[in-house]
Amino acid sequence: MRVMTFKHGMVAPLVALFIGVVGFPLGYAFYLSVTDYKLTSRGAPRIVGADNYVATFGDAAFWQSFGTTALFVTVAVGLELLIGLAIALALQKQRWASDLTRSMLLAPMFITPIAVGLIFRFLLNDQIGAIPRLLQTVGLDYDFFGPGKAIFTLAFIDVWQWTPFMVLLLLAGLESIPKQPLEAARVDGASGFYVLRRVTLPLLAPVLVVAILLRCLDAMKVFEYVFATTRGGPGTETQTLQYFVYQTGIQFFRLGSASSMAFVVLVVVLTVIVIAFRRMERAKRS
Amino acid sequence: MKNSLALTVCRVALLWAAAICVLFPVVWIALASLKNPEQLNEPFLLSFSPTLDAWRNVLDSGILEAAGRSAIVALTTVGISIVVGSMGAYAIARFRAGGTLTRFGMLAAQVLPPAVLVFPFLTMAYALRLNDTLVPVIFAHLSFVLPVVTWFLIGFFEAVPRSLEEQAQVDGFTRFAAFRLVVLPQVFPGMGAAAIFGFTLSWNDLFYGLILAPGKAAILPVAIAGFNTFRGVQIGSMSAAILIAVVPVVIASFFIQRRLVQGISGGAVKF
Repeated sequence: MRVMTFKHGMVAPLVALFIGVVGFPLGYAFYLSVTDYKLTSRGAPRIVGADNYVATFGDAAFWQSFGTTALFVTVAVGLELLIGLAIALALQKQRWASDLTRSMLLAPMFITPIAVGLIFRFLLNDQIGAIPRLLQTVGLDYDFFGPGKAIFTLAFIDVWQWTPFMVLLLLAGLESIPKQPLEAARVDGASGFYVLRRVTLPLLAPVLVVAILLRCLDAMKVFEYVFATTRGGPGTETQTLQYFVYQTGIQFFRLGSASSMAFVVLVVVLTVIVIAFRRMERAKRS
Repeated sequence: MKNSLALTVCRVALLWAAAICVLFPVVWIALASLKNPEQLNEPFLLSFSPTLDAWRNVLDSGILEAAGRSAIVALTTVGISIVVGSMGAYAIARFRAGGTLTRFGMLAAQVLPPAVLVFPFLTMAYALRLNDTLVPVIFAHLSFVLPVVTWFLIGFFEAVPRSLEEQAQVDGFTRFAAFRLVVLPQVFPGMGAAAIFGFTLSWNDLFYGLILAPGKAAILPVAIAGFNTFRGVQIGSMSAAILIAVVPVVIASFFIQRRLVQGISGGAVKF
């Protein structure tokens, strides 16, 4: 009996606060999504049922931003995985000044994303930026924020900031996998590449899945880079989901439809989280 | 033998390339903060007489007040999250309190798109006439710092052997005293890492601050974003402001990197 009281007493503040800052706002957001609430209008909002959702599903601009975000996430997380794996493998063998090297290479993930966005906005600017100048000296003229290129530039910024997160998780994974299979393979005369593909990567798979899922979920929320550099342009090419919802809600004051869009995104995210959660629980049990 | 030498060369080259990629933008920004507007047009100008004008400008622009507000928000959120989160995480780790749903909620809330929660916070702030103050920002930041800190701590509490507190109870401690005096000290390193990580999350967040307090109560990331639109772009001052925002968290982060993995994965991956 006393155990029960103690257990519930300890978890109660957490649950209460969690409901206050997440649960209630979530319910309220759902309410907003079925009304015609506008920040500018006075008086009680009208319940419009599923109208906002119907409008969202029929909104070409919303689906365009969905596609833009998907492209951004795929390019960014794909590159982060490849580069991150290479760096993690290199760091694992590093002996000289290894702590310093690690700390320095991991630093970008702690920098305010808006600052990262602004730094690259000027570093890549075609008038005063250092990198376009550098490219011009070898005869290349590349407009980083031009049509068809801007979204890849944004993905590149994400790679700069978040590859360290991949490195961090993969390095931890590499150091925790058992040594015997690796040594056995080496004794048998297997080449380094063969060991990597047939022994290391399968053993690393659970960590890889967790790392990829966490990065995908985080990359989906991209806002700061867009806000700092392109503001959705050229045209609407780089309007990501979070930026699109921000515009609908804040610049056009349409909180009702903005909330319904956010909820559609939420369903996608939740599906991914359920998969991630199952994986993590399974990884833990084994 | 030849093969392994080639591999070593590749490995070292890769690490050097990565180090240059990481350092180049940061060094560039540091230089830009010491240049005058004309010198800024010459990105490769390395030898110049440094000026502190940009730093003077940025200090006059109220950036330190914005940093102070960011610190208030981050410290309040982290303080509440650590107290409430460590009690909850202990109960979850030890007694499975709250069941799978609570555990799942902690993970799900970390990745919830902020676009879902921000409008309720905004309308509530308006209704209570608290818009453009720090109060809604603190509540909004709690919505992601609390789950992250709790999730972090669950993994650390699970690593504490059960026998420790059983022994404490045999010695006559109450359950709460055993938790406070015996179990908590075991997870202090984890709590420190969780606190610093929670602090950087709150300190770095732009989205909630931008929407809930865009004006006189602007927090640091919002103030930095302001350099982008306010009277054209002042790259020198912006660079100085960026350094003010970046340096404290990067230094703090050096102390937690090893524990970060264990925390982020909820104990599923250990370093």
